[in-house]
This record gives sequence, C-alpha cells and structure tokens, in this order.
Amino acid sequence: MSTEPQLLPTVRHRSWALWNNPIFLRYCRSRLRIRGLGIALLLVAIVCGFIGAMTYSIGVSSEMNPLDAARNAIIPLIVVQSLILFVFGTAQVSGGMTSERDEGVIDYQRLIPMSPLAKVTGYLFGLPVREYVMFLFSLPFTAWALWRGEISWEIWLPLYAIIFSSTLLYHLTGLVTGTVAKNRRWAFLASIGLVFALYTVIPQMAKFGLVFFKYLTIQPVFYETLPDILPRTAGDIVRVGQNLMPTAKFFGLDFSESVFTLFSQFGLILTFVVMLCRKWNRTEAHLLGKSWATGFFIWIQVLLLGNALPLIEPGNLFPSRAFTQMIRLDPSWVPSPSEAVIMSGVYGFFTLILMLILGAIVTPSPEKQLRGWRRARKTGKDSLQWKDDASTGFWALLIMAIAGAGGWFLFTRGLVESRWFPGYEVPLSVFGYFAAVLFAAGMGAQLLMEWKGGRWLFLSVLLIGVVPVLIGSVLMPMKMIPLATWCIALSPASLPFYAAGSILTLSEIPDVAARAVPRAFLFSLAVYTVLALWLMIRVRAARKAMGRKVMKG
Amino acid sequence: MPETPHHAIDIRSLRVDYGDFIAVNDLTLTVPHGEIFGLVGPNGAGKTSTFRVLTTLMEPTYGEVFLDGVDVLEDLESARRIIGYMPDLAPVPSDLKVGEFLEFHAAAYGLGKRSQRRDRVAECLAEVALSDERNKWCKELSRGQTQRVVLAKTLLHRPRVLILDEPASGLDPLARRDLRTALRKLATAGTTVFVSSHILSELAEMCSSICVMNQGRLLASGSADEVREKLGSTKRLITATPLSRHEDAVAWLSTRMDVRDVRAEAGRIVFEFSGNDEAQADLMEGLISTGIRLRSFEEKRSSFEDILVEVAETNRNS
Repeated sequence: MSTEPQLLPTVRHRSWALWNNPIFLRYCRSRLRIRGLGIALLLVAIVCGFIGAMTYSIGVSSEMNPLDAARNAIIPLIVVQSLILFVFGTAQVSGGMTSERDEGVIDYQRLIPMSPLAKVTGYLFGLPVREYVMFLFSLPFTAWALWRGEISWEIWLPLYAIIFSSTLLYHLTGLVTGTVAKNRRWAFLASIGLVFALYTVIPQMAKFGLVFFKYLTIQPVFYETLPDILPRTAGDIVRVGQNLMPTAKFFGLDFSESVFTLFSQFGLILTFVVMLCRKWNRTEAHLLGKSWATGFFIWIQVLLLGNALPLIEPGNLFPSRAFTQMIRLDPSWVPSPSEAVIMSGVYGFFTLILMLILGAIVTPSPEKQLRGWRRARKTGKDSLQWKDDASTGFWALLIMAIAGAGGWFLFTRGLVESRWFPGYEVPLSVFGYFAAVLFAAGMGAQLLMEWKGGRWLFLSVLLIGVVPVLIGSVLMPMKMIPLATWCIALSPASLPFYAAGSILTLSEIPDVAARAVPRAFLFSLAVYTVLALWLMIRVRAARKAMGRKVMKG
Repeated sequence: MPETPHHAIDIRSLRVDYGDFIAVNDLTLTVPHGEIFGLVGPNGAGKTSTFRVLTTLMEPTYGEVFLDGVDVLEDLESARRIIGYMPDLAPVPSDLKVGEFLEFHAAAYGLGKRSQRRDRVAECLAEVALSDERNKWCKELSRGQTQRVVLAKTLLHRPRVLILDEPASGLDPLARRDLRTALRKLATAGTTVFVSSHILSELAEMCSSICVMNQGRLLASGSADEVREKLGSTKRLITATPLSRHEDAVAWLSTRMDVRDVRAEAGRIVFEFSGNDEAQADLMEGLISTGIRLRSFEEKRSSFEDILVEVAETNRNS
C-alpha cells in the first residue's frame, strides 16, 4: 500500500493585500510587458503633452495670465484620463473576463484556493492594470496644470476620489457583465451598453425627479468643482449659473456632493462585489440572494426619496424650473400639474423596472426549483428555506411591491400636496392602486418566470410589454387617440403612467383621451391583477405539486 | 464526515439533473488511496458532470462527495487544495509564457516564497519533460506539450487526488507512454488518479480499477477483467476450425440456444456464444462427441470498445 503524498505547505491570501494577490500579479506580468505598455505610454505622453502645450499656448497667446492658461488644460486632461479609465478600462475588464472563459482557463482560477473576494480584487485591479498605469502616466501633466493653475488640493482631491470610485463602479459593472454574459462579443457589447445606460442614460432621469441617479456619475462633483478648475473669468460665470442649479439635500442633511456621491456609489459597488463573490463561490448561484435584493431595492427607494423630497418645496425638482432658470424667461414660474403627473409616472415606471430586474435575479427557474426540492428531500427537509436560491422569489417580490408602492406614494404625495398645488390631496387609496399596479405588472412577471422560465418571460415582455406600446405609438399620429390609448394600456409597463394620469386629481388629460385613459387603466389593471392572481394560484399549486412529486420519489 | 479511514474519493448517492434530464443518477463509488481509477462511458454517460462535481465546479442536485475526508460541497477551499484537475483539451492562457503560467499557479496555491515556487515549477516541468520550454509562450506549444504543461500545473501543489479528463487526447504514442509512466509513478507515491478516457484499451492498461457509466448510472466497477466479465460475459466470439464435416458442425451449432450468427468462413466456423465458461466447455465437448474433429477452438473476448458500443446500443434501443 502506498503512502499518502503530503500537500505542500501553503500560504493563505488576504483579500486586501493586492501586492501579493497572484491574479493581480499575473496581469501585471502579462499586461505590463514593455512592448505593449511602451506604445500605450508613448501615446498617453503625446496626447497629454499635446493637450497641455496646446491649451496653454492658446491661453498665453490670448493674453491670459499663466495661471488661467494652465487651467485651460485641466478639463481636456481629465477627459483623456476618464476615457482611459472609464472606457478602455471597462472594456478591458469585461472583455478580459470573457476571454478567460472563452479560453477555458477560468476553471483553473475557480479551483485556486483563494477566497472569492481575493479573486474579485485580483481581477478588478489586474485586468485593467495597463489602463491604471496609463492614467498614472498622465498624472504629471495634470499635476503641472493644477500646480501652475494654483488649484488647491481641497478642490482636486474630491474630484479624483470620485473619478476613482466611479472607475471602480464602472469596472465592476464590466466584471459582472463579463462574468454573466455567455460570449466575448456579447460581454463587450453588454458591458459598454450597460455602462452607457447606467451612467449616461439613467442619470438623465434626475431631470424627472429621480435625482439620485446623477450620483452614479462624476457629474455632480465635476460641476461642483468646475468653477475652481476653469480659468477664473469662466469659473465665475459658471459659479453664478451653479447657484441656480438644484442641489441635493438627502432628507435635509447637508452633504457635500463628493461625500454623497461616494456614499451612493459605495452601495452599488458593494452590491456588485457581493454579486461577483456569489458567482465565484458557486457558478450556479443567483447574482443576489433574496435578502440582499430586497434590501437593495429598499435602499434605492430610500435614496430616491431622500434626494427628491427636499427639492420639491424650493421647486428645484421640476424639470421646467431648471429650463426656466436656464433661459431666465419667467420669474413667476410655477410647475404645471401635468409635470407632477409625469414625474409620478416616471417614479412608478422606474420602480417597476427595478422590480423586474431584481425579480429576474432572485426567481428560480423550474429546473433550479426541482434541484432544490430533490436536495431538500435528500437532506430530510420538507420545504425549501427562504434564503435558498431554489425557493420562491414571491415573498421577496411582494415585499418589494409593497415598499415600492410606499416609496411611489410618498413621492407622489410630496409632489401633489406641496405648496405648488394648493387644494390637491393624495388619499391613502392611491397607495392601494399603486400597490395593485406593481403587483399586477411586477409580480405577474415574476410569477410567470417562476412557472415557465426566462424564455416565456422574455417573450411576454416583448409581445405584451413592448408591442402594444409600439402599435399605440403608430396609431397616435393617425389621430386615433382613444384606440391608441387603449392599445398602450394593454402593456403592463404603461400602467404606472396610466395610474398617475387616472388617479391623481390634478391630472389634466386632454379631452380626446379623457374618457379612454381611466377606463383603459382600470380595465388593464383588472385584467392583469386577475392574471397575476391566477398565476399566483397556479404557481403555488405547481410548486406544491413539484414538492409532493419529489418527496414521494 | 465519513468514517475513518478515509477513502481518497467517496461519492455517495450523487445525482446531477439538468431540468428533466438526469446526468448522474445515484452514483455511489469509492476509490482507495494510490489507485489509478478509470471512468469509462459513452458520450452523455455522466462522466464530465461527475468530474465537475468532484472538482467543486458544479453543485449536484444532491449527494455527498468526500475527497480524502473533506466534504466537497461544504469545504470548498480545503477540497480545492487536495484536488489537481486537468480538464479535457486543457487550455492555457495565450498571454503568458510556460514558466509564468506555472509560477502564477504556484503563487495562487500559496506555495512558499518566490524562490521555492520557482524550484517547484522547475521540478514539475522536469517531471513532464518540458524543462527546456520554460520561456516559450504557451500559445506556441503543440497540443501534446500543452497537455503536459497543464499536467505540470496540476501537479504543482502535490495534490492528493488527481482528476484527469481525457488526459491522453492529442498526445502521440510516445507521449502517451510517458503519461502512463508518470501517472503510475504518482500512484506509487500515493496520489490517487481518477481518469477518464475514450481510448479504453489504454485505460485498461493503465488503471488498477475501472468503472463503467452509462446514462448516468454506474454499470460495473472493479478490475479490468472483472468489469469485462460483468459486462461482456454474455458475448464471446468463437472460432472453431474442424478438420472436416463443416456443414454438420454448422448444423449442430445452429440447434443450440446459446449460439448465434453461425457462419462458415474459409474453413473456419465463426459464431457468437452467450454462455458462461462451463457452457463453453460443454459446447466444445458436444462438438467433439458428435465426431467432429477440431483442429482449433479459439475464443475472442469483447474488447472494451465492443462492450461500450454494446452497452450504448442496448440503452439506445431500450
């Protein structure tokens, strides 16, 4: 009989010790080879040198003093640095991650006895290490501009802190997409698309009352520091304009933009890290557990409300206010009621979309449920635990629906019962309608996915969620307004807007659709509520039947 | 935890489902330390799913898997220290050199200081006869060299259990022989090797035990002869060469229930016999007692390939 071989003594890797992280060091080796890096650094030097010299010489030749001329270079240099970190870095992270899987070497990394967090850290800083070095190489140019422009560290430090936290956020987005997407092309497209959507498109919702989203970008801190990094004359003009811009006060607390941005981004960074750790731990695991997903949903609601509510009374939340201030037309500005109705609809729509995304994450496929039941039987349990990925996502989504309806109701009440719309009230019954909308549309989708799987959900979203809106949009210019109204109402995605338009007493629906909107809303709500209830009963029965069948063996 | 002493591999009631498809169905198996254990089966037999569960890359529907006493499903990190896994068509990263690739893995396993890791990498490269390729790019290696580099990577931390999925694929005969020798050496040193291959005759030569899987189920396990006996005993191809009276011999054989497909070919009579050893002795005696003089009577046992084809076809038809 042979003797058992002795494993070699090993050292455990600490997640935070980046300088000892093998994955990080592996990428330092492969991505910092002189040949590739040299060209990249040469390009950075040429571009940054050109920008610095060009803007400075333009300033000096326009008879600016050297201080202002140097300040001219700062913003273009920051744009180059952002391009390196945000665009090149993110693409590298998501592409690199999928290429690991394409090549098949990711299985080796899964087997490495390192903690999931150490692996995430290694990839997060390792994959884009060349971009970090390129960024560092561009810093002397910015440092020169900051020094010559006499910009205090209190100005540039928060800006660079936010650039760094945004970089982490974008790279984590790329890492999550790279980990989840099936192939390299999709990963690249999805990560760029997601980064563009999350940090460019969605922040535009800030203009419709969802102020929180702008804190996912460097925009607020950039605008805050802008007057101090521009040449002084231009800076003064921007400062005057800035005084007219809305500022966020989280539930009345007076945070600086940089602190609040860090706070907001931290939550998302943490959530992404949790997603990645779960995936590294178990490939089959859901991106988020039910508790985390529910907590995340509530946290987003709190942030949305905390940012929005304090801005209602001064009027800064309304899009028309910003526009009026910008063109300085009407000092006696008041928001229009329809503005409040649309903002309420946007809030409800966003809440519904967030529910759908989180619902898709925490809902087990029928296959997963089956495996869960079989495992339960084997381990002598007669039911699935709430935290188990295989257990129903119904309760998590139900909590989200209630919390979402609560947030939506508070936002709407804050808007409608503000000093801008005297005499209007939002009764508690509105909460019931909002809850019904989120239940019918959000939970309906979740229940369908739990019963039939993701493919059915996708087809339903396409055929029931999108197509009616498209048909309605075609009918609208053909002056078939009532028909278009009914058609669009068939889409569960439109229900939040219809709810706001139908229930709120300050709503001003044009005469041509005045009868159709509330009727179509009530009809659709009734149909989808009945459908969701039917699905609820059906899914429950199917779940029980599956449980019984498995337990019987 | 399983009772002591631990087996190197202890699989209990393992089940892996993909929807309604059962990839591995209640597989129970133990492999003692220091064995080279072969896993054989046609495509879709459940080999890869079993390997992925063993290597912690997949969570089974249920079941228990212990590697050297460590619960694979509960203690992933410890299990991963015990395992050395070489996947089918083992890939290597295109952006690293051979030495860098191995040093990265040595560091990832936390194998001491840098100099110790370099020494260990050199040792492993020597074991697979690739010391001269240390500075070569991984992407420039031939298929056989790639397999050997990955084997070297797999051996770095001196795993107690080696799990090799088709390790000989892409290797030339010489490299296969070297691989066999290397695996035998490891097994002698106490490493347990769990290996799958489609080159079944090679598995039979290399392995101390074999198990045959089909449609997720374990059909037989044991030594190569035992498995052949369990699965192949019902089918023997016999060639009898009478001196004369061929027609009489064919006629007599055709009357027997345990004889099929009797045909006369160039002075020989070839038939399929499904009886056991005793029945075969009776058959020979019967032929002789009818007055047929036999010049030779040869039995050709089914090869592993034949057995697997038979198993696969039986299941396909059932």
